[in-house]
Amino acid sequence: MKVSKIRPFALCLALGLALAGVAPVADVLAADPASVDASTQPERVARWKAIAAQIFGDREIEPTETLIKLDAPTRAEDAALVPVTLTMPEQDTIKSVYLVIDDNPSPLAAHVIFGPAAYPGSLQLRVRIDTYTNVHAVAETRDGRLFGTVAFVKASGGCSAPAGVSDEEAMTGMGEMRLRFAQGAAPGQPTQTTLMIRHPNFNGMQMDQVTRNYTPPRYIDKVSVSHGSSKVFDLETDISLSTHPVITFSLVADGNNPVNVSVSDTKNGRWEQSFEVPVTTN
Amino acid sequence: MRVLLEAAAKAAIILATALLPAVGGLGLAADVSEPPGLWTGSMYGRTPSTLSGAAVVDLAALEALMAAQPLLLDVGPAQQKPENFPGNRPWLPIHRSIPSAVWMPGAGVAPLEADREQLFHRRIAELTHGDKARPIVVFCRPDCWGSWNAGKRLVMQGYTRVSWFPAGLDAWQEKHETAEVKPDTAWSVESTGGKAVER
Repeated sequence: MKVSKIRPFALCLALGLALAGVAPVADVLAADPASVDASTQPERVARWKAIAAQIFGDREIEPTETLIKLDAPTRAEDAALVPVTLTMPEQDTIKSVYLVIDDNPSPLAAHVIFGPAAYPGSLQLRVRIDTYTNVHAVAETRDGRLFGTVAFVKASGGCSAPAGVSDEEAMTGMGEMRLRFAQGAAPGQPTQTTLMIRHPNFNGMQMDQVTRNYTPPRYIDKVSVSHGSSKVFDLETDISLSTHPVITFSLVADGNNPVNVSVSDTKNGRWEQSFEVPVTTN
Repeated sequence: MRVLLEAAAKAAIILATALLPAVGGLGLAADVSEPPGLWTGSMYGRTPSTLSGAAVVDLAALEALMAAQPLLLDVGPAQQKPENFPGNRPWLPIHRSIPSAVWMPGAGVAPLEADREQLFHRRIAELTHGDKARPIVVFCRPDCWGSWNAGKRLVMQGYTRVSWFPAGLDAWQEKHETAEVKPDTAWSVESTGGKAVER
């Protein structure tokens, strides 16, 4: 399902790095202090405050290094497909998580609200990143407190990167889903699960390489996963999610019921699918 | 045996050293020749390695040029809000650029409407105080015909010290902090009413 593509500049970047590794050059201009920790640069901090005010109002976000961890590549290979992993070691205290890509035009990339069938220990998404930016992960605990962490990610051009194929081709099979379990699901145990959804997730900033027109936006706005009558999670999202979204999460299998996935998009597309959970004996 | 291994290792290093620049060059110097005038095809795609009448600068050359206080002209696109974007989600477009750059989104699009083209030249004349010898650096991001076109427009208008920085913002932000810039007021006030602009 994944469209493999390497954009030319990404290739150049990779080669440039390889070269730098072979022969490090004395670099007088790298002394810019801002590049040491760009995440604390005042303009970026101010932007985060403005974003946080819009999303969280006046709720305080406490810094944390333990309640939520954000793992993103410091330098992304493909800005249209940046894997971001959130880890919540104290999973039982977590109610929901927010992923914010500060310098994307729509910074709130995802809000995931966990249900009783979830094991909120970790979550992985693939996102588009438009320019070198801070990425914030905020966990909301069951008692209503917010805890945040930040990482600076070097990726550029992810929002306007063309699909690489024609729009028509990118839309083929829209709404098809697959659900993959990391191993057999032992009842009562957390099982890592990967949901793959075929959807172009057009964000309105990509240009059709054939017609040279901007492709009208059409993107997934909600993904809902349940297990039997129990909710696993609701995901609210928009244009920052990658083409053909892939979401990795954990659920606690009940040894009986199927997993139901429901997806909707902004053009009234709605898809539902039911998956049997493979039961393991070990 | 050991000698052989060493020789092989040396050969591998020599081969790698020789190959890397060659492969790297593919991305830059592939056979994209300069169009006779402005490029009217897709604004996103491989660009030529030259721009007749202008200098092509990399980051080091740009850094050297900064002392001359060039007019830094960013022609990258503005972010378009998707139609029917939910009002309860934050929409906060931001354009980061080289600090002090003048941002004229879409100024490299071709063809431009005649009045837009005139406005472009009028703005550049204002910004350079009518000095055709003022250094000007045009850029956006890699694979951006918009910056090539904007440079071409300036060359055709008789500016004598035009530099095209094809690696653009991506190369800049590798080493330097960027700054948020707003669209040039004169350029955007008479803009196309928020219509999509290409980079």
